[in-house]
Amino acid sequence: MKAWRIILATAGLLLGAFGVFRLLTEIPTGSLIRLGIWLLAALIIHDAVISPAVAGVGWTLRRTVPDRGRRYLQWALIMIVVVTVIALPMIFLRGSQPPVKALLLRDYAANLTLLIGLIAGVTAMSYAVRVFRDRRQRITREDHSGQAEGDQLG
Amino acid sequence: MLQHRPRWWPSFTSTLRSTAVTARIGRVLGVAIGVLFTTGLLSHYQYEPWQWLPVPAKPVWGYRLTQGIHVAIGIATIPLLVIKLWSVYPNLFRFPPIRSIRHALERLSIAILVSAALVQVATGFLNVLNWYGFGWFFPPVHRFLGYVLVGSVLLHIGVKLPDIVYGLRARMSEADVLTEIPWNENPESHSNAGRLPDPPTPGISRRALLVAASAGIGVVVITTVGQTVTPLAPVGLLAPRQWNRGPQRVPVNRTAEQAQVGPIATAADWVLQVVGPRPYALTLADLEPRAVHRARLPINCVEGWSVGADWRGLSLLEIVEQAGGTAESRVQVVSIEPVGYNRSFVEGPQLSAALLATHLNGERLDLDHGYPLRLIVPNRAGVLNTKWLNRIEILS
Repeated sequence: MKAWRIILATAGLLLGAFGVFRLLTEIPTGSLIRLGIWLLAALIIHDAVISPAVAGVGWTLRRTVPDRGRRYLQWALIMIVVVTVIALPMIFLRGSQPPVKALLLRDYAANLTLLIGLIAGVTAMSYAVRVFRDRRQRITREDHSGQAEGDQLG
Repeated sequence: MLQHRPRWWPSFTSTLRSTAVTARIGRVLGVAIGVLFTTGLLSHYQYEPWQWLPVPAKPVWGYRLTQGIHVAIGIATIPLLVIKLWSVYPNLFRFPPIRSIRHALERLSIAILVSAALVQVATGFLNVLNWYGFGWFFPPVHRFLGYVLVGSVLLHIGVKLPDIVYGLRARMSEADVLTEIPWNENPESHSNAGRLPDPPTPGISRRALLVAASAGIGVVVITTVGQTVTPLAPVGLLAPRQWNRGPQRVPVNRTAEQAQVGPIATAADWVLQVVGPRPYALTLADLEPRAVHRARLPINCVEGWSVGADWRGLSLLEIVEQAGGTAESRVQVVSIEPVGYNRSFVEGPQLSAALLATHLNGERLDLDHGYPLRLIVPNRAGVLNTKWLNRIEILS
C-alpha cells in the first residue's frame, strides 16, 4: 500500500503543479484574479453558508420529527435538494438566450415544482403505507398475546 | 497550544456520517472525475489535434457519445460532490485546527481540491447554460483547472488510502461514525479499533441515504440527458436544450445576428472563393447542381447537446480536388463571420467525409444554421463545423 500511496501522491503533485503552471503562464492576470475570487468564494459559500445550514436543518429535524417519520422526510429532502441544485441556475437564466438556440426555454420553475410534488407524493404514500402496516402489525400482535393469555387461563 | 478545545467548538452528533459512507460516495465520484477528465481531454483534442494524428471521421457518433457523457456526468457530479462534501464536513472542525506542518499542507491540499472541484463543476454547468459572467475564457481555464483538480484527487487518494481501504471493507451499518474527532483518536466512534455495537441511525439509514442520493441523481440524469439522448427529450423537464425547438429541428449555438453576418451571407452575389494551385469561385447558382451528397450526421456541441439530422450538400474533397488539392491536403474553411470561431481546419479522414451543406432536414439551410453554405463533418465538435462559409483554402 505504501508504494501505491507514494505513486498516487507524486503523480497528483506533478499533475496539479502542471495545471497551476499552465494557468499562471497562459491565462491573463485579470482572469486569474477572478478565478482566485471564485475559488475562495466557493470555499466560503460551501463551508460557511451552505454546510452549516444543512447541518442546522438535520439538527432541527432530529429534535423535532419522530424517528419513523424523519426517515421518510430525510429521504424526500435528499432527493429534492439534489434536483433543486440543478434546477436553480436554469430557473434564474431562463429566457436569457435568443429563442433559435432552443436553450433555456422551458418553465423550469414549474417543472421543478412538479418533480418536488412527485417526490413528496411518492414519499408521503410510502409513509402512509408504513404507518398502516405498523398499526396492523401491532393489532395482530395484541391479538396473539390475547390468545396466549386465554390458553393459559384455559 | 490549546490542549482542550473550547466549549463553543462545533461537535457533530449524527451517526449517519461514516468513513464507510464517504468511501462509497468517493469511489463513485472518483470514477466520475476520471471519466470527465478522459472525455474532456478527448474534447480538447477536437480543437487542437496533433498534425500527425488527425481526428478520425469514424465512428460518426464518436464525439456525440464522449461529449454527451462529459456533460451528463458533469451535471450529475454537482449533487454527487455536494453529498461527498456533506459526508466529510466534520473534518473541517478537527481540533487543534493545525497540528503540524504536514497537517497544514494536507489541509491546504484539501482546500485546493474542494474549491477546484466546486468551481470546475459550477462553471462547466454555467457554460452549458451559455452564462459567461465568471469573466474568463472558459476552455483553457476549464482544462488547466481540470489538471489541478485531477492532480489533487490523486494526491487525496494517496493520502487517504488507508481510510479508503477501511471504509470500503467495513460494512456500512457497523462502520465508524465520522465526527470532528478522527476515528483513530476516538475508540467510541465504532472504528476498526475493535468490535463495538452498531451505531444506531434512528432516522434514515446509511444505506437509504445512498439510495436516496442515487435516486435524486437518477432523476437529474433522466430529466436532463434528453438534450442529447433524443428519445428521452419528452421527459427532459430540466434539459437545458430542446433540439426540436430549433429552426429545422436543430438548435443553434451562435445566431446569424450574434455573428453579424446578415447582409453578406444573404447577398445575391455571394461567392465561395476556393484558393489553391488552381483557384476558382462558385456562385449560389453553382451550388445547387453539385449539392447531391447526402448524409445523416449528428451535430454535437461541446455544450453537451446533440441531434441527428439529414444533410445534403457538396463534397468538400471534390471542391478541393478541382482546385488542385488531394485527400492528403490540409484545408482551412473560412466564414463570413468577422470574429470568434470563424475558421477551422479539415484534414485526414475528416476531409474525405466532409460535406459543404446547403440543405438541412430537407430544406434550404436556415440563416442561423449557416446559409448559404456550412461545413458538416462526422465526429467533429459542433463549433468546428464552420457556418456562413465564403472561402476554402488549400494550405498544403
